Amino acid sequence: MTSVHSIPTGALEGVHAGEKLSGLARISLLIGMAGLALGAWLGWSGGEAEMRHFWFSYLVAFAFLLTIGMGALFFTMLQHAVGAYWSVVIRRIAELTMANFPLLALLFLPLLIPLLDGHGTLWPWAGHHEGGDPGHAALLAHKEPFLNVPFFLLRIAVYFGVWISLARWFLRRSLEQDLTSSPTPTVRSRKWSSPGIIVFALALSFGAFDLLMSLNPAWFSTIFGVYIFAGSFIGNCAWMILCARWLQNRNLLTNQINVEHYHDMGKFLFGFVFFWGYIGFSQFMLIWYANLPEETMWYKDRITPAWESWSWFMVFGHFVIPFAGLLSRHVKRSRFGLLFFACYALFMHWVDMYWVVMPNMNAPSLGGPADGGSNPFGLMDVAVTVGLVGIFVSCFARRAAKHPLLPVKDPLLADSLAFENA
Amino acid sequence: MTSSRVYGVLASFTSVEGIIEAAKAVKEAGLTKWDCHTPFPVHGLDKAMGVKMTKLPWIVLGCGLSGLALAIWLQWWTNAVDYPFIISGKPLWSIPANVPIMFELTVLFSALSTFFGMWMLNRLPRWYHPLFSVPSFRRATSDRFFIVVEADDPAYQAPEIKALFEAQGAATVEVVEETITNTDWPPKIKFAAWAAAGLLMLPPAFVVKAKFSTSETPRLHLVPDMDHQPKFKAQAASSLFADGRAMRMPIDGTVARGELVANEALHTGFLGGEYVTEFPLPVDEFLMERGRERFNIYCTACHGVSGLGDGMVNKRAQEIVSPLWVPPLSLHAETVISQPPGQLFQTISKGVRNMPGYAQQIPVRDRWAIVLYLKALQRSQSGSLDDVPLQLRNTIR
Repeated sequence: MTSVHSIPTGALEGVHAGEKLSGLARISLLIGMAGLALGAWLGWSGGEAEMRHFWFSYLVAFAFLLTIGMGALFFTMLQHAVGAYWSVVIRRIAELTMANFPLLALLFLPLLIPLLDGHGTLWPWAGHHEGGDPGHAALLAHKEPFLNVPFFLLRIAVYFGVWISLARWFLRRSLEQDLTSSPTPTVRSRKWSSPGIIVFALALSFGAFDLLMSLNPAWFSTIFGVYIFAGSFIGNCAWMILCARWLQNRNLLTNQINVEHYHDMGKFLFGFVFFWGYIGFSQFMLIWYANLPEETMWYKDRITPAWESWSWFMVFGHFVIPFAGLLSRHVKRSRFGLLFFACYALFMHWVDMYWVVMPNMNAPSLGGPADGGSNPFGLMDVAVTVGLVGIFVSCFARRAAKHPLLPVKDPLLADSLAFENA
Repeated sequence: MTSSRVYGVLASFTSVEGIIEAAKAVKEAGLTKWDCHTPFPVHGLDKAMGVKMTKLPWIVLGCGLSGLALAIWLQWWTNAVDYPFIISGKPLWSIPANVPIMFELTVLFSALSTFFGMWMLNRLPRWYHPLFSVPSFRRATSDRFFIVVEADDPAYQAPEIKALFEAQGAATVEVVEETITNTDWPPKIKFAAWAAAGLLMLPPAFVVKAKFSTSETPRLHLVPDMDHQPKFKAQAASSLFADGRAMRMPIDGTVARGELVANEALHTGFLGGEYVTEFPLPVDEFLMERGRERFNIYCTACHGVSGLGDGMVNKRAQEIVSPLWVPPLSLHAETVISQPPGQLFQTISKGVRNMPGYAQQIPVRDRWAIVLYLKALQRSQSGSLDDVPLQLRNTIR
């Protein structure tokens, strides 16, 4: 791990945010609390149906942030596993993001209410859920040894245990490296990154099955975890690009992150937009081709009048448009172009989570109206998402103020600073 | 036949910084036909040389879109137009099923055009370059950085360029002579190449001839595969056994599995030399349904669904006027209606006229089921309202 480059003067300026982020931390917490309060009030005052909408909305926002966190954790471990040097200057952003996992665990706790209320408000298997195909009852009884509340809670605890400990361990090694010139912490990170990725992949896949796929407990797709993974990588890339741009607008990391690093982040974004499309289509095509009722129902729920245009929006908005848009090298290297597509990809990732979660609320396959009812999108969804994102950003900003925004003594930092795309 | 001409001026530098500065100077001097040769990719050199962005991505984009279009056209033409064939109950032209091929051909065309487009833009393959004959140029693969200005350049003036390089601190500057060799192939090689090309035309010529002619001799078995298997076929002769037959008789006093005639009436349709007139097994709804199913599988091909002898095989035989074809009798002919069940069973088992015996294909119980269904089928043609039970009469009026 020797470097052919030396660290130029001025390369370690603007790496301590200090007070520059405290305003953001305060304001976003305020906005977050207000948004969440507004959403909860809308649900509370709107009666039982609106309260149920609130919980679905909450799960959308929670899944949106959880996937970004998982993307950040994977990003960090991936860079260590392959010994990447280009990404060292932006890796700390991912590390500070994944340090939000304890917060995410905390944000999961409100979901215990719809889980334990005995009506199967969110997860039909968790209570006496009326309606639906009578055949489903037998299927649910068959799945009961796995899909029951105590075991579910145990698994969620294990997933968060995995995510929190992996995130803490890798962040600690990185902060340890800030204080020493010996490469030992980075070497240890590299050594443990590959086993970490395996454990992470299992937690992600089963977490996706439990939190999102079991919203329709009769439906199953083994590739579902990979689909969620693809989305989380996109979400994290877009999030990191936006964070880097925001920090640079505050005169932080201006000497370190340049167009070459953005270009590579753009490549990642582009590559995973395609990967998302590839995996999403793989899941769809096998189900479409086999045409088995117990598999097609998930898609049939999403081509009801309430959701059909939303589903087409997924195809074009989440895949075709960003794919065509990010294809060119010039777009990935342009300040405005990449900023636009990062915002856009982050938005589309939220749309994706909404599309995965929300149709289950009135799904025909779960006893809802045959036409899927009306599309529930409204102020509450925006308020709840703004709420959780605000809290998430606030927590991120608070931590970012405490630590250097760059792994200042990383053995590969000099190479990263001098990085150029061929 | 060799002559020589000046190829250009070659200068070497010892450092990355040196060649970048020199490249800038050459560009500023307004020269256009020149190039750099370095042991490794030097970052910033393309900018110093003023190399334009490559056109390759546009070629790749064009070829990728062509691959996509070809895939769409190919699948639309073959599946939906030229040979419409329903697969898995899907529409003849359905996008989801076609996406994998669209993806693959896009990737294939993009990848191939990237690779060969790069060759084309770099004018590859090229086996020889005038600089290869300069001994000092070998260091271009280890520790020297070279710039060469070609004599074809409109602004080429050897002394000025030499001076420019020396001013830039070049380690060596030299004028490269290019040896122009007669590149024609030797006559012997030329002749051999033409002869080989001519011989290569022979196999396709044979193929064409075979396609447009007929022959009495059996075709060549280059790959015998399963055409000739070392085994005896039924009814064939064999020199292995004393009686000269490949098939063996059952050993005295034994019965082959499934061949035991425990119940003469059931297994043969005879009882005491007479056809049986009663069914030798319990007759019920299930047997009737079974009979209908088996009849539709085995019998309708020739006899038709209604038993009138108008099955597809018969229709086809009439159409091609097959001289060997004996049309099946209508199963509703008086001669058939009058046959007792035992005789029908015999016919199914042993065959009659053109009809082969079905004993090997249809188990005993199923043959009786067919006989039962056939009897019902015959009855259906001469039925009246009185045959229908009272409580069902209203439903069929």
